[in-house]
Amino acid sequence: MTQSTNFIDPSVLATLDNLEMRARVIVEGFIAGLHKSPKRGFSVEFTDYRHYIRGDDMRHVDWKLYGRSDKMYIKQYEDETNVRCYILLDSSASMAYASASMSKLDYGRTLASALAYFIMRQRDAVGLITFDDKIKDYIPAKARQVHLIRILRSLHELQAGGQTNSVRPLSELAMTLNQKSLVILISDMLEDEQVTIKTLVQLRAMGNEVIVFHVLDNQELYFNFNESTEFVDMETAETHITSPQAIRNAYLENLQRYLDDCKKKCQSSGVDYCLLDTSQPLDKALASYLSRRTRSS
Amino acid sequence: MGFLTPLFLLGLLAAAIPIAIHMIRRENPPKVMFGTLRFVKQTTKKLILFQQIQQWLLLLMRAALICLLVLAFARPLLFQGGMARLMDAEPRSVAILLDTSLSMRVGERFERAKTEALQVLDGLNAGDEAAVLTFADGTLTVRELSNDIDGLRAFINEMDEPGYDRVRFYPTLQQADDMLAASQHQRRQIVMISDFKASGLDSDALVSDGQSVDQDGWMLAAGTGFLPVDVGDERSSNLSLTDVRSPQQLLENQTDYAVLARVRSTGNVFLDRGNLSLNLRTQAGDDVVTNNAGSIPVQLNERSEAVINLPLNLDATGAFTGELVLSGDDVDLDNRWYFSLDVLPRMRVLVVNGDPSTDWFDDEAHWFVLALQGLENSPFDVTSVTADALTIPQIREHDAVVLLNASLQDNRLLAELKTFVNEGGALLLAPGNRVTASEFNDSFAGVTPATLISSEELATNDYQLIADVDRRHPALRALNVDFGARFQGYWQTAPGSDSDVLMRFDNGSPMLVEAQAGEGRSMLLSSSMDLAWSNFPLQGLYLPFVHEVLTYLIQPPQRERAYLVGDMIDLSSFMSADNTTIELLEPDGAQVQLTRDNPFYQARMPGFVRLEETTLAVNIAAEAASSRRADIDALTDAIINPETTPMVSEQVRTAQLIADIEQPQRLWWWIVLLVMLLLVVEAWVANRTYR
Repeated sequence: MTQSTNFIDPSVLATLDNLEMRARVIVEGFIAGLHKSPKRGFSVEFTDYRHYIRGDDMRHVDWKLYGRSDKMYIKQYEDETNVRCYILLDSSASMAYASASMSKLDYGRTLASALAYFIMRQRDAVGLITFDDKIKDYIPAKARQVHLIRILRSLHELQAGGQTNSVRPLSELAMTLNQKSLVILISDMLEDEQVTIKTLVQLRAMGNEVIVFHVLDNQELYFNFNESTEFVDMETAETHITSPQAIRNAYLENLQRYLDDCKKKCQSSGVDYCLLDTSQPLDKALASYLSRRTRSS
Repeated sequence: MGFLTPLFLLGLLAAAIPIAIHMIRRENPPKVMFGTLRFVKQTTKKLILFQQIQQWLLLLMRAALICLLVLAFARPLLFQGGMARLMDAEPRSVAILLDTSLSMRVGERFERAKTEALQVLDGLNAGDEAAVLTFADGTLTVRELSNDIDGLRAFINEMDEPGYDRVRFYPTLQQADDMLAASQHQRRQIVMISDFKASGLDSDALVSDGQSVDQDGWMLAAGTGFLPVDVGDERSSNLSLTDVRSPQQLLENQTDYAVLARVRSTGNVFLDRGNLSLNLRTQAGDDVVTNNAGSIPVQLNERSEAVINLPLNLDATGAFTGELVLSGDDVDLDNRWYFSLDVLPRMRVLVVNGDPSTDWFDDEAHWFVLALQGLENSPFDVTSVTADALTIPQIREHDAVVLLNASLQDNRLLAELKTFVNEGGALLLAPGNRVTASEFNDSFAGVTPATLISSEELATNDYQLIADVDRRHPALRALNVDFGARFQGYWQTAPGSDSDVLMRFDNGSPMLVEAQAGEGRSMLLSSSMDLAWSNFPLQGLYLPFVHEVLTYLIQPPQRERAYLVGDMIDLSSFMSADNTTIELLEPDGAQVQLTRDNPFYQARMPGFVRLEETTLAVNIAAEAASSRRADIDALTDAIINPETTPMVSEQVRTAQLIADIEQPQRLWWWIVLLVMLLLVVEAWVANRTYR
């Protein structure tokens, strides 16, 4: 991976305990400017009319125009909050794995804060859902600056534990979404990835933009162990003793098959997929986010 | 089994070190909390199993390495040397004697013999040693005692077919016995595979009729066994040419020559009839039609043998080859006889009479001519002239000139005579009382073997006898008659420096002197050939003397041309002075070149051996072709030593002692070798195994 000089190495970021500070450092120099939102809201500035559709709020009907034309039109305004973005951060036990200074959870936490900060700087609304096998915290999407503090606090207090169940938070989120949103999932997807991706695809089918940041540790990606080792599963506590050198090739083949499967299924259904190595800077994640936002606008 | 340094065996405890390391490392691998264990678990079980096997293999090899090193340092000893002794199977030494003589060519005998020999080898145990000796007239090839049984088996399989030699058992038996005396094992056995012909025994043989004669008391060494394997006991009907007499020289148009062939039924199935044919060919290979053309029936009837007379009457001169072929039986080996013969023209003799007389009794040449022509089929054509009537053409037209009490006055005649002799003619001088010494010596200088000194005429009652005869000389060796002639007159002579005195009077004076003169020969008889000075013409010696001397002077010395297989033939007499090599063609067409330094050729097969100018006939020795069988039981009884305790030589005892001391200690060499091999394998496996 190309090492960008504009971004700080995760091991250095890990020394910054303040998440806001981390987010500022990361986002600095990355902001590409504001964009024109394609969404129409009900704010101050009028933009257009559209025909009434059953179920529309009657408060927004232009009665004057109804009087003149005998037809009901709905006033449309430019929304002050262009995008509603929900960041879903996996905090299961497996996210606690760290072969270097920064664990996957740390990495995801930093990424989430950077994204939140970045989104907030664009005056978009951002929300946060942290989960393991259940939803640990739910912060609805808002665009106020003080809301960022809440998100960062939640991220700061987040602890890894429990098994992964991404389906539940995603499903609940899907039920609450009443407008097309940007859904960002940060997870290692080591459990039930098939169901997770299936749910993500459903979200995508509902018209939402979906980005998956698949976070894996460098050791998980390259399996550079040497001596015989007893591996303990971080979620199930299952153990397995083996000689890593003997099985390294087979491991990497299995892993690559898994990653290819994830990527293929995501891409085939319009879900953006971005594999992240915790030893690499976060520019790749931000670039991926921006790429999605650019296409959206 | 024991150990020289058993304390080292305590080191076996060190074998626990790799096991302990393995167990410790196995129970305490570092624990790693890991997220993607599912991919670790998906690796194939086969890979894990293989890895575990490698681990266990490494563990075993490392433990074995330590154990083996400890064993090597402990210096193990294997007592009583060798697995064979441990298994209580006393090893033995076996000498296989394989007959490759002529009779083994009959039928399938040789193949059966080889099969028997291979079976003997197959019956050997590990640790046994064997030798193979092939023999015929003597030992031919020897494969010394060896444990390399496969090598011996290959040697037997690749053996050529038997030769044409006769067989003799004892030389090879003695050689095998000597060989076994030096063997390292005390169980010794000689296996003789043969058809056991009686001819294999020496003259005082043990034959099938039960005669048992001790072979000079020789017998095998004590404790050496003898196993005869008879491969010649098949039924066979055989007619043999047991003896053939054929002349080597005969005269043209002479009818009293014949080839005699003795035919005998020698198989164990009696044959009473067969056919005999005689094939004559010229030197160039053309067939010659004789009165014996075609096949002659041979009738044995109730007799054991028949003698067939085949008269020879050839009207042409020259060299011929003859082949006598017997047919009508199963065995062809002894059915052919080869011979070569020369048919010579009559010898032309010119007798010059120096003292002719009308009275035949006193005629100088009467007795001499009578001796030459008195026989019915005389080999001589004689022309008798007086010295005065002698002419130059007469000299040239004859093979020999005989001057009886004659002296020649004509220098042209003398010159012609000398030329005649120098160019290969024969001259016999017999001076008498009509010759003067000075004149004789002057006239025949250069051709006479001796000069005349003076004539001696003894008193009436005095005489000289023939006292010294060179009986090895070709002209005289056939004269096996009374030499009682009395000489009252003779010449005192002085032989030339290159002359040989063949006969002397009893006073030592030379009687018959020979000399080479150019290409020819001359002889001087220092007395007359009539009755004037002696009664020699009236003696029984006279006629054969005259015949032999003239034949010798005229004809070149007869070379032996009949040989037997195995004879060593000296061919130097066939080499001229100019040639240093001679080439010959063997019966099978092989060419052999001999040099003057080594002119000997050993006849190896029956048939004609052709030289440039002559042909030698080679036949199988009668004893080789004989089918008489030896009494195998009698032979066994004669050579088996009643003493059964084997003798062990000092050398063998010393070698055994050294082997007993050293051999058991060498086990550690093999252990160290195994350790090194294991180290290599361990390194290889370890490099392929992950920690």
